[in-house]
Amino acid sequence: MKMRLSAVLLLLLLFAGALALLLSRYDYAFQDRDAIMAPSSAQHWTGTDEVGRDRLVRVSAALFIGLTGASAAAAITTLIAALFGFMAAFSTQCIANILLFVSDLILSLPWIFLLMMARSMLPLTASPLETAVMTFLILAALGWPACARTIYRGALALRSAEWMIHGYASGLKTLQLIRLHLLPHLRSLLLPQFLICIPAFIMAEANLGALGLGVGEPLPSWGAMLMELDNSAQLAQTRLLYLPIALLVVVLLILESFTSEVKTDA
Amino acid sequence: MSLLMIIAMRAGRSLLLLFFAAAGTILLVRFAPGFFSDSRELDAKYAQAVQTEIQEEMLRQHSLRQIAMLQVKGWMKGDFGQSRQYNVPVAELIAARVRVSALLLVKGIFFGWLLAVCAALPISALRRAGPLWGLPFTLLLAVPAAALATICILADIGGPLLVLSLLIAAREFKLLRSLLEGAWCSPHLLHGRAQGLPTCALVALHILPNVTVQMCALMTLSIVTALGALVPIEVIFTVPGVGQLAWSAVMNRDLPVLVAVSLLMACVVGLAGMLSTRPITMEAV
Repeated sequence: MKMRLSAVLLLLLLFAGALALLLSRYDYAFQDRDAIMAPSSAQHWTGTDEVGRDRLVRVSAALFIGLTGASAAAAITTLIAALFGFMAAFSTQCIANILLFVSDLILSLPWIFLLMMARSMLPLTASPLETAVMTFLILAALGWPACARTIYRGALALRSAEWMIHGYASGLKTLQLIRLHLLPHLRSLLLPQFLICIPAFIMAEANLGALGLGVGEPLPSWGAMLMELDNSAQLAQTRLLYLPIALLVVVLLILESFTSEVKTDA
Repeated sequence: MSLLMIIAMRAGRSLLLLFFAAAGTILLVRFAPGFFSDSRELDAKYAQAVQTEIQEEMLRQHSLRQIAMLQVKGWMKGDFGQSRQYNVPVAELIAARVRVSALLLVKGIFFGWLLAVCAALPISALRRAGPLWGLPFTLLLAVPAAALATICILADIGGPLLVLSLLIAAREFKLLRSLLEGAWCSPHLLHGRAQGLPTCALVALHILPNVTVQMCALMTLSIVTALGALVPIEVIFTVPGVGQLAWSAVMNRDLPVLVAVSLLMACVVGLAGMLSTRPITMEAV
């Protein structure tokens, strides 16, 4: 019930975002020089920012960019984690130890430091799209160790299950066993890992963006919009600057409720 | 396996992790696509030929061997090398800031846990406590650290300590609540309740002693959460701590500072990990 409600709310949000993008006359990067820091009006329903860009269009675009990027990154992370977890669980103890040591190595640093380091090392001339892709790729590349450990534990428990031993005895190869038996069993473990990663990545991007290390301008992102809150002159004029953060919290709450429901089911 | 052996093995593993963390940081930074990016690249007055020359010169000066040698020399001397942006020894920079960050960290963890315990204890004792009771903490979990810090500044409420405490409280509340709910349902506690023991006595004599070990383990893991939140909080509130130094080093590509801060963080996280697993190890022994 809770999950259905969350799904409906998320779909409604996405639908509203898509409508705003389709119906608006403006592009997310279009600067209306006659309406700089304009309040809400018929042309700009939620006003404009300090360079005259439509806020509603930018928030809607940020919603799509954030969700798409985070979902893609979460899928990559879950895939890497699954590969690592399976390899560690189905190989010799020595290889498993080496693989777990690698995951420990990445876990030994708080990931904001790793993210900052990796993200800041991009060339200064990188385009906004490149920075967006790289930001989410870095998130994907650094987010897998905790998931890999969980999947490793799950796969390890299944490796010694009776039906696995029966499968081995029947002559099934390891790949067949993984595809036919292990993956269906681990689906309940992989899906929560994937869903956990989405809000975590959205939040990480927002934090990175607020530090000036996220998606590059003029591409809209949650992080870049949080930076707008620093502009006290604009805040004195309109409270609509809080719109991105309010929407971000709503999106994260919806995603969190999804995650908790799936975890309970698992 | 003897206790001494376990400690030696854990220490050896931690040292190995530190070594690889340092090597990994150097490799990551050196082979990042933007390592040779120079602000002069964006300056139109430099012709293509001059820019190529600048890049070749940087390539000569920044071979991996040279960087590694410089780092090792700095560590041998105990100053962790010279900061590129401030031109002072890195150890000096870190020493001046580590106290500020450590104080913020300790106070944040203390107040965060106090808040989480004060909220989780009565809520866990309720027989029909729905998810609405934990709503403030769920809401806090959905707010990025940077956003919470910015809101605090705009509303002129609290400071870095409040933000850090709220973030830690939000993170730990759920775990603490489920831990305490489990403790309230244990048979000896139900027996105590049936005997008419007052709630205060139940909490002091049965609940808290039972969950102390798990709480200590969770508390040490809060250090990792707090370290992650430290950077945006220190940057937004302009607290002169290690987090702000790391951010400034990242923005200015200051490799010696980056490596030293990474090592410091790896040390703290490693220590927290070792402390959190201590009770299990002792039980195993």
